[in-house]
Order: sequence, then structure tokens, then C-alpha cells
Amino acid sequence: MRVTVDVKGEATHEIDTDELPGDSTSAAGQSASSDGTSNPESTYADLLTAVDLSPHEVSVLVDGRPVPEDQPVDADHVTVLRLIKGG
Amino acid sequence: MTGSEPTLVLPSDLREAILERARTGDPREVCGVLGGSFDPDSSRVRSQYPADNVADHPRTRYRIDPEEQLAIFERLEDRGEEIVGFYHSHPRGPPRPSETDAEAATWPDRSYLIVSLSPLDIGSWRWRSGDSGTEDSSDRESTGSRTAGKFERETLVLE
Repeated sequence: MRVTVDVKGEATHEIDTDELPGDSTSAAGQSASSDGTSNPESTYADLLTAVDLSPHEVSVLVDGRPVPEDQPVDADHVTVLRLIKGG
Repeated sequence: MTGSEPTLVLPSDLREAILERARTGDPREVCGVLGGSFDPDSSRVRSQYPADNVADHPRTRYRIDPEEQLAIFERLEDRGEEIVGFYHSHPRGPPRPSETDAEAATWPDRSYLIVSLSPLDIGSWRWRSGDSGTEDSSDRESTGSRTAGKFERETLVLE
């Protein structure tokens, strides 16, 4: 699936989830392995990895609402926001 | 790099509005977004967008909810502005980044404006991430963190 990843304040990326490490439709149902070849579906965290970001520094939003990074990608447009926080 | 400090131009009326928010928000930290013209070394603020502080401990922490953050960014972009940076207050701390600020900073080259209430003062800093190419310099005041990056003080120009 082709996904547009809009990193607010920076660039917009076009990511093909079929090309992400860890994505393998032929291994559906198997657990993830350390070599990254048996993930049944790409997650939002995989998308973040593809654009060099960590779930610890951003929020992922779909249709304006945050989504858990460990969920399978289920949208063709994703907004990524760097966190604004501190002390 | 030229060796000179980066700058942030801040209109006086916006400075006063931010200071007033910090005063009325005391003892909680207040926070918001700065919109305007962004450049990694010379930015100009045209608007300030107040945001709710949704941190669990708002007297010593601040956090902007992602949904409100996105709504602010959309308003800002609709007005032809760029994300210049952010502001927050230190009701009981100095006008410089805390260790927590440095550990939580995520926006390379953006300005982090900090208001202190005791005594009343205001300062601004750029977050330089590990890959943004800024080196340590003995004539620059900086605050680092355990993460790859540091804050670089910038000159606040009031107009």
C-alpha cells in the first residue's frame, strides 16, 4: 500500500508499505523475528522508521486523531507531529 | 556557520501577551506555538498561538496535546505562516532550558522561548539536534542533554 507521510514542519514522504523491512504478506500470522522478515503487516512504527523518526519523539495521527504506533497501517495518509513538551 | 548567534525577532505586543499569559497561568506552566517566518538562523514571529498545558504535572512540566497541536499548525499554515518555534514558562525556574527541556526537545533548529517569573525574564534558544551540524563553541551558552543535541542561545530582537 502506498502511504503519504506528512511530517509537519518538514517533508512529505511517499512510502510503499510492501517495501518496508518487516512486511511480508506470505508470513501472515507469524510473530516478528529479529531479522525483520516475518511481520505479518507493517505498523505505523515501521513507517516512522522509514522516515528516520522514533515513536518516542513524535505522535502519529490519522484523520486528525492519534493512533497507536504498534497498530497495522490502515490509512493512505498519515500526519506525523514532533512532540512539544518539556519542563 | 558564521560564528554569530542565531536571532529571533519578536514584536513587543506578542512579548507582552506571552508574559501576561505566564503571569496569569502561575503557578502552572503555560505554553504555545510561535508562527511566522522560519529560518534555521534568523526567524521572525508574527503570531503566537496559546495552547493548553496537558502535562500530568503542569507546575513543573508542559505538553501540548497532538490534536490541538495539529489544529494550531493548520491555522498557522492557513495564514501563510511557518512553524517558528514554541514558548513555555518556568514559574519557579530560570529563563533557560532545563534538563527536562533538553531531554524532551524534538524540533531541530526551531526556537524554544522560555519565560521566567522569578525574576521576570525571557530568553530564546534553538534546538540543535545531533545531525544539524552545530558544534560546541566556547563563546556560546548552550545546554546539552543525554540525547544527541543541545540548545543554542539566540539573540532576542524586540521590535
